[in-house]
Amino acid sequence: MNFIHPQFSLALPEMILLGMISIILIADLFISDKGRVVTYLMTQATLVLAAIATAAVMGADVALSFNGHFIIDPLASLTKLFIYLVSMVAFAYSRSYLIERDMYRGEYFVLGLTAVLGMMVLASAHSLLTLYLGLELLSLSLYAMVGLRRDSSQAAEAAMKYFVLGAMASAMLLYGMSMIYGATGTLNLWEIRDAVAEGSGHSLVLIFGLVFLMVGVAFKLGAAPFHMWVPDVYHGAPTSVTLFLSSAPKLAAFVLMIRLLVDALPALASAWSDMLVIIAVLSIVLGNVIAIAQLNIKRMLAYSGISHIGFLLLGVLSATPEGYAAAFYYAIVYAIMSLGGFAMVLVMSRQGFEADELSDYAGLNERSPIIALMMLFIMFSMAGVPPLLGFWAKLAVIQAIVAVEYYQLAVLAVLFSVVGAFYYLRVIRIIYFDKPTERRELKPANDLKVIFIANAMLVLLLGLFPESLMNLCQSAFIY
Amino acid sequence: MVESILSLLTLLGFPDWLQSVIIIMLKIVVILIPLLTAVAYFTLAERKVIAYMHVRIGPNRVGPRGLLQPIADAVKLMFKEIIIPHGADKALFLFAPVLSMAPALAAWAVIPFEAEMVLAQVDASLLYILALTSMGVYGVIIAGWASNSKYALLGAMRSAAQIVSYEIAMGFALVGVLMAAGSINLGEIVMGQQGGFWHWYWLPLFPLFVIYFISGVAETNRAPFDVAEGESEIVAGFHVDYSGMAFAVFFLAEYANMILVAMLAALMFLGGWLSPFEGIGIFADSWLAAPSILWLLVKTSLFMFLYLWFRATFPRYRYDQIMRLGWKVFIPITIVWILVIGVAIVAEVGPWFAAGVAHG
Amino acid sequence: MPQYRRADRIHQMLENYLPVLIFIAVGLVFGAFMVVLGMILSPSRPDDEKLSRYECGFEAFAGARSEFDVRFYLVAILFIIFDLEIAFLFPWATVLRELGLFGLLSMTLFLAILVVGFIYEWKKGALQWE
Repeated sequence: MNFIHPQFSLALPEMILLGMISIILIADLFISDKGRVVTYLMTQATLVLAAIATAAVMGADVALSFNGHFIIDPLASLTKLFIYLVSMVAFAYSRSYLIERDMYRGEYFVLGLTAVLGMMVLASAHSLLTLYLGLELLSLSLYAMVGLRRDSSQAAEAAMKYFVLGAMASAMLLYGMSMIYGATGTLNLWEIRDAVAEGSGHSLVLIFGLVFLMVGVAFKLGAAPFHMWVPDVYHGAPTSVTLFLSSAPKLAAFVLMIRLLVDALPALASAWSDMLVIIAVLSIVLGNVIAIAQLNIKRMLAYSGISHIGFLLLGVLSATPEGYAAAFYYAIVYAIMSLGGFAMVLVMSRQGFEADELSDYAGLNERSPIIALMMLFIMFSMAGVPPLLGFWAKLAVIQAIVAVEYYQLAVLAVLFSVVGAFYYLRVIRIIYFDKPTERRELKPANDLKVIFIANAMLVLLLGLFPESLMNLCQSAFIY
Repeated sequence: MVESILSLLTLLGFPDWLQSVIIIMLKIVVILIPLLTAVAYFTLAERKVIAYMHVRIGPNRVGPRGLLQPIADAVKLMFKEIIIPHGADKALFLFAPVLSMAPALAAWAVIPFEAEMVLAQVDASLLYILALTSMGVYGVIIAGWASNSKYALLGAMRSAAQIVSYEIAMGFALVGVLMAAGSINLGEIVMGQQGGFWHWYWLPLFPLFVIYFISGVAETNRAPFDVAEGESEIVAGFHVDYSGMAFAVFFLAEYANMILVAMLAALMFLGGWLSPFEGIGIFADSWLAAPSILWLLVKTSLFMFLYLWFRATFPRYRYDQIMRLGWKVFIPITIVWILVIGVAIVAEVGPWFAAGVAHG
Repeated sequence: MPQYRRADRIHQMLENYLPVLIFIAVGLVFGAFMVVLGMILSPSRPDDEKLSRYECGFEAFAGARSEFDVRFYLVAILFIIFDLEIAFLFPWATVLRELGLFGLLSMTLFLAILVVGFIYEWKKGALQWE
């Protein structure tokens, strides 16, 4: 029996990650609590190695491997690179939080890396099978990470909710995939595209399949009306997990959507574009309005996340390469801002104190002006105040829908970003104008503080020079 | 003989499909009657063998030398009341023994007794046996749960955990056999061992052979792994609340499983119906070197005797020791040995793994 | 023509499995028959004491279907993982000769990943009973 050996080298980053995950899992068993920093450093080193490997296999061309199940294209490589970056920052943020809460164990990092591996598989997936494989690897790791703090009933509840709803969404997605497969007779995304374009697929089955896919994707993105899990999970999970959960996986979910809708089903663009309009409007409206009522900052950021996903979807629903690039840009920008947003909570918290109520931030300016200023940048950026990064992202997606003449949608988006600005500015007001309830000096760990400042400065600098990142995103779609 | 029955049935005007069903039923009866007799006399043999090992006489009242004892036991059990305790789930309580009996019998459908003597010539016979023996654990769990007794539940949990633990080691051992034989069909596995005593798989697969049989003992919950029914701890385990025929069915299933494990060991590791004298000059043409069902029965009896010998010799293992043996000793050894066999096959180490020996 | 042959082969295969099916049915019927026979032949004189569940001569003081050690659950999960592993190994084992070195290396890798998990369980004490 002769095998056609696949081109293994294309999957080098994935192999490195899998190998290192195994090594770290075993090595951590033999590392005492004092030497846990070795696990942490190995984790970061793994991501660096993977980034080098990804850069090495990255080319301008599109390359397929593993019988067409695996693809390397600019979108895959760029997404992976950003996922490494975001994950590295997320791990770096988590370190001191984990130490303070007795969660500084190898499992956290191993699960995190497994989630990264899942995202990588997702980013490079070129068939329904690999898409699902990557998605499950990602989701299962995240469920476990949310529930990592076994003794906290809140975390256990969040994990359970996430798991049950997530399993249901996966089932929906799988059901949709099986319908698409049934209608076209192939798993390969491009073959599906060709089959649909030829009109050989059964159109009703295809549309049904598309609806199920959409439900699954919307759930994974956390878009309304499939957003119910988002606030509870973000609130219940340990903050460091929330930070990870809200950043890198969104990038992966975005690629999942692009692969399914744009790579496989471009012929149904008019159908999925309409569905996305509904989802996007609901997400923007619900997210922004309900966020106003939140007094818990994690819940507030969760609802703000839902509205950001709504904005992201605006770019996709325009169904133009410029729109996809804008959405990709938005996804990256959101990941960066979300890191900063939850890092605010990490910076404020200390052992035995989670700092997740808005009132905990009262008068922060008097306690630490520099951190207060950084928070100001992040909140303004999320609100979309020029010239910060968030503004350009919003501008890009709104330009994309204006280009396809969805004027009402554009007006609505602008209106609700003004509504959204209200609750971001409220945080600023609390930080700058309220009387502090406690005067204890704020002492975040050094690495946490440095990365937080760097993160906030990145929001500012990339906002001042938005072109480079935007060009990068466009290179993934327009060539 | 089959032909004459068939012509008789045709004469009586039976349709084709019914004819084949009747022939199959007859074959099943031909397998079941010796099997059930063997089970009955295995119980007697057990008592006798253990008695002699203890320097006692054993049952000797019913019939000459106690030879009718199993029949007396059967009659006694038949007329005993079947008690269904308060709070028991009646349907499940009665269904559990059936569920443990059916797979213990049905597994025999694919056992080859000689080259062509097999009821169902199924390609995946070993897989089928693995599947059916796994079914037995349902009977145990359901019995323990349905009884509504603490002892039964505990016994069921213990025995289920033990069975599934050893099933893994057993499964890995089977994988080794499959690798050596290159087939999943039991008949072909036996034929792959042709060439005499030193060609049988017990030698190249020695660790797997030992592990297979010990796992078989543990799977059937027999001494020294019988903590599930350890009299001194939880009385009789999962069937503590069973009486009369309901109990007898469990009993029958257990012994049928023991014989099954013994016969599988003979088939997979000791060359089944092949003669140990095969290929030796002086016996070359005599009946001793010819394959025969008798050899299979002799080899099976050897393993059945080992069961009894173990019981008379070894003290009972502690539960943690059992689990440790299964998980921490057997599984690592089997995994390593599978890799060893894999290398041997790819490197074509003879005479067992040389190219062309097996049916690939 | 190949179409016909394939159908024929499937038919042949099903025919091979017919005795198996019948044997399973016979097994079920036989077991049920024995139990029913016992119930018909044996006397039935239940009373409260006789029907009370077995508890070493004591009055039962708590429900029997209570919690049990979570370890049993763990064993069940581990069993599923390993049993699936074995299910993957079965087809591989039968055709290893044809797969050659590539097949061996692939399965070695597969087993290696399994072993990583196994070592983890071992060191974490999931296999420890006391």
